[in-house]
Amino acid sequence: MAAISIQVSHDPVRAGALLEELAGADPDCGGVASFTGQVRAEPGLVALELEHYPSVTENALQRIAETAAEKWSLRQAVIRHRVGRMEVGETLVFVGASAPHRREALKAVEYMIDLLKTDAPFWKQVHTDTGSHWVEARDTDRDAADYWTDQIASEDA
Amino acid sequence: MQITIRYMAALRDRMGRREDVLALPAGVSDSDALTAYLQSLDPAAEALAHPAIRLILNDAIAPRPCPLKPGDVLAFCPPFTGG
Repeated sequence: MAAISIQVSHDPVRAGALLEELAGADPDCGGVASFTGQVRAEPGLVALELEHYPSVTENALQRIAETAAEKWSLRQAVIRHRVGRMEVGETLVFVGASAPHRREALKAVEYMIDLLKTDAPFWKQVHTDTGSHWVEARDTDRDAADYWTDQIASEDA
Repeated sequence: MQITIRYMAALRDRMGRREDVLALPAGVSDSDALTAYLQSLDPAAEALAHPAIRLILNDAIAPRPCPLKPGDVLAFCPPFTGG
């Protein structure tokens, strides 16, 4: 049974500390993988603001992590997502996984970040020096989530 | 029946309000019928009918259409854009 840790918070996400914690936790894990998403600098961008639907978000992230843990035999799965206002360079999301072997940890991280983008109720607003607008969902994000859904369905068949 | 309707993110801006608490007329018993009813009250509600709009019913992501009952809280959500 994997240890799953989910948190959605206004607090800064400390990716380095989270990764260190993952890496040192289980001597049977030969692979620890992670993804850190941060606010990218773009012309005119002042800040990003993330909002979510409390309670539904955490449950959605828990389901994503549980699916990954079961599929890739993880020992640990960690998701941290920040909400509120963030400036360029600040960490927005951290996804980490540990497993006995590297391939499982890497695939699990890719799966979790792809599904997080389409299956958890977060919304991103961009504040620029000329105004604000909501970020629209991208077809490529939907395609990535569909890829995993198809993969899992075909392997389970 | 009376229900609470929430408008999330860009839909909140489009509707100009966070939520409505409405007593629904007889026959409005699922989210599709509700969407049509809301459009009859407010042209801005046309945005709620877009096929990409997701629903959260009483703290769980719900399929479209979903049945409604008295006291429900239904949130109309634009596509998710986290991560």
